[in-house]
Amino acid sequence: MENQIKESKTSTVRGFPRHTKKIMKGNFAASEAAQLCRVDFVPAYPITPQTTIIESIADKVAKGDMDANYVNMDSEHSVFAAAMGAALGGSRVFTATAGQGLFYSHELLHAIAHFRLPVVACNVGRPSIPWNIWSDQTDSLAQRDTGWVHYYGESSQEVLDTIIQSYILAETLDLPVMVVLDAFYQSHTSENIWIPDADLVDEFLPSKKLKGNEIDPGKPKDFGGLVPPEHYGKFNTEYWDDVLKVEDLSEKIARRFESHFGRKYSNVEAVNINKNTKIVLVTISSITTTARGVIKKYPDVGLLKLRLFKPFPKKAVIEALKDLPEDAIIANVERNFLGDNEGAIMQEMQRALYGTNYKMHDFYAGVGGKDVPPETIEKIIFMARNNPDYVNWV
Amino acid sequence: MEPSFDFLIKDEKVFSGALSCRGCGWSLLVRHLASILGEETVYVLPASCFSIISGPYPLNDLKGTIVHTVFAAAPATATGVRAALDRRGREDVPVVVLAGDGSTFDIGLQSMSGAASRGENILYIVNNNGAYMNTGIQTSTATPYGAVTTTNPGAKGFKKTWPKDLMGIIAAHNLPYAATCSLAHLDDFRAKIEKALSIKGFRLLMIDGPCPPGHKTDPADSIQIARLAVETKLFPLMEIEHFDYKINYRPEKFVPVEECMKMQGRFKNVFKPGNEEVLKDIQAHTDNHWKRLEALAAMSEN
Repeated sequence: MENQIKESKTSTVRGFPRHTKKIMKGNFAASEAAQLCRVDFVPAYPITPQTTIIESIADKVAKGDMDANYVNMDSEHSVFAAAMGAALGGSRVFTATAGQGLFYSHELLHAIAHFRLPVVACNVGRPSIPWNIWSDQTDSLAQRDTGWVHYYGESSQEVLDTIIQSYILAETLDLPVMVVLDAFYQSHTSENIWIPDADLVDEFLPSKKLKGNEIDPGKPKDFGGLVPPEHYGKFNTEYWDDVLKVEDLSEKIARRFESHFGRKYSNVEAVNINKNTKIVLVTISSITTTARGVIKKYPDVGLLKLRLFKPFPKKAVIEALKDLPEDAIIANVERNFLGDNEGAIMQEMQRALYGTNYKMHDFYAGVGGKDVPPETIEKIIFMARNNPDYVNWV
Repeated sequence: MEPSFDFLIKDEKVFSGALSCRGCGWSLLVRHLASILGEETVYVLPASCFSIISGPYPLNDLKGTIVHTVFAAAPATATGVRAALDRRGREDVPVVVLAGDGSTFDIGLQSMSGAASRGENILYIVNNNGAYMNTGIQTSTATPYGAVTTTNPGAKGFKKTWPKDLMGIIAAHNLPYAATCSLAHLDDFRAKIEKALSIKGFRLLMIDGPCPPGHKTDPADSIQIARLAVETKLFPLMEIEHFDYKINYRPEKFVPVEECMKMQGRFKNVFKPGNEEVLKDIQAHTDNHWKRLEALAAMSEN
């Protein structure tokens, strides 16, 4: 484990004071974030390619670096059930899973969300049967309707930083948050990562305070008993009210994060989208970085990166595209397959841009971990220019 | 004769008006349990009849905290609740799973096994009424051989497989305490609750659960049938501490299994002509199971 994290000799002078620069794999950035957030409870179950997240947390707890209850559960279903119980009891909870594990926990994802519990979980995306352990976002995107807030990290630095921000969002609105990173391209790839000092994080994210809606043995309550039809809607409308607050609050937390830590994030990021743009690539996760590089060669191609995916940041998307000519082509890059014609990104983009005249096309690229090198992005740009089909498999 | 006010339950922790059926074991069971546990207790409930009995929103039938959770993972949810309470310095608050046989024997077996293996400090109560009663009497792996259910139906039909030996399975986990209890032996039941509470770790009590609609019985006969289940050795009263077995009650005289079964409409097809061998098999199985228990108990004494 030690040799996985190499401390860099680089000083902390350039860039980010009160940080240490380390060379670290994405999974270790995630476990580092859990430690920095001072989580109380980590129920765990191994699954590739997430396993090193929970292994490194087990290691941190064993060494005394992390003051948390780490519990080896019997399945991901039990992991999320335990997460639910601990969050009901007022603990700050973290866990990580991937692919089948996330699919298996589906029932609990709904329950955690509808119990309004501020659990934060990392998912390292991979698809289902036939067996495949490589990068794919079908698992998390198939959970987009469970009521969890979903973030996709472009880099492992972004994953670490987003986990820290997620606890503020989760605990402010009583909503669970899923932070997704790419299998292998992030989880097992080393990057330079700036680790904030513990006290810097403590100033931003204080330890969890009880709100009074948790289990209190002295004040018996019933959590989750049978709710008749005439009352059920009340819980949903209250939930809906808070879901509508996510987009603005997420942006506000990102601004506060920027002034505190010095790194800028937003719900979406527009690159080179203006009145001369003819094509906009829409991406999530690490494909974004590849696309960033490629579009430098193409002055008329822009990029829309989605960091917050659920609830879909409709306002930010519309704002990002405000100067885009109506005859421009929006090319959605999908690393997911949800059993429908369009992939998840195109479905959401169409919903957000309903009533506009943009020509939207879908490009399935990189499902099941297939590499998406710059040439693939260039191919998508070429196809987008030359009368593409509505949906294209690249 | 002067009426006696020397009730076992001195301090009632269950409100009147619970939604259980007449003659149901759940309410009696929980009344005794809660009277001993007190109000500062967290009950974790997977889907079961008791999910309904405990009261629809915004009611709570129990003077205590209730956490409703999914069918398959009550012990895992209880694990999280336990950890959170311990973290808050509330190791004194009991965390109790109240489950039926469906979640214990079938859908939640893995979760229970996980919590038992980890030695979670949880008291697990299983009300074994031998079928999925809340959904309307479907066969579970706790359903006795010979019982008719809506999924082993028919004018001549009945379940033709033996129920799972849950106590054997739980004993294999090497637990500090597991026991069976009967609502016809309340002093024994209450003593076992007290004993379970005096021990730290994963503890399990299995109670034979009367269910008039599911067992097709007269609600007035619930306790009498529970008593006959013990007398016929269909439901032996025992304790298991780690690998040591103890039989708590040995019936004075032989009572054939028919005595208990004939009072329950669910076994009516077994009593139809042509099924004489089935009844003999059930008797033989019951006798063998008892013999095995006696052997285990004798071994434990040495």
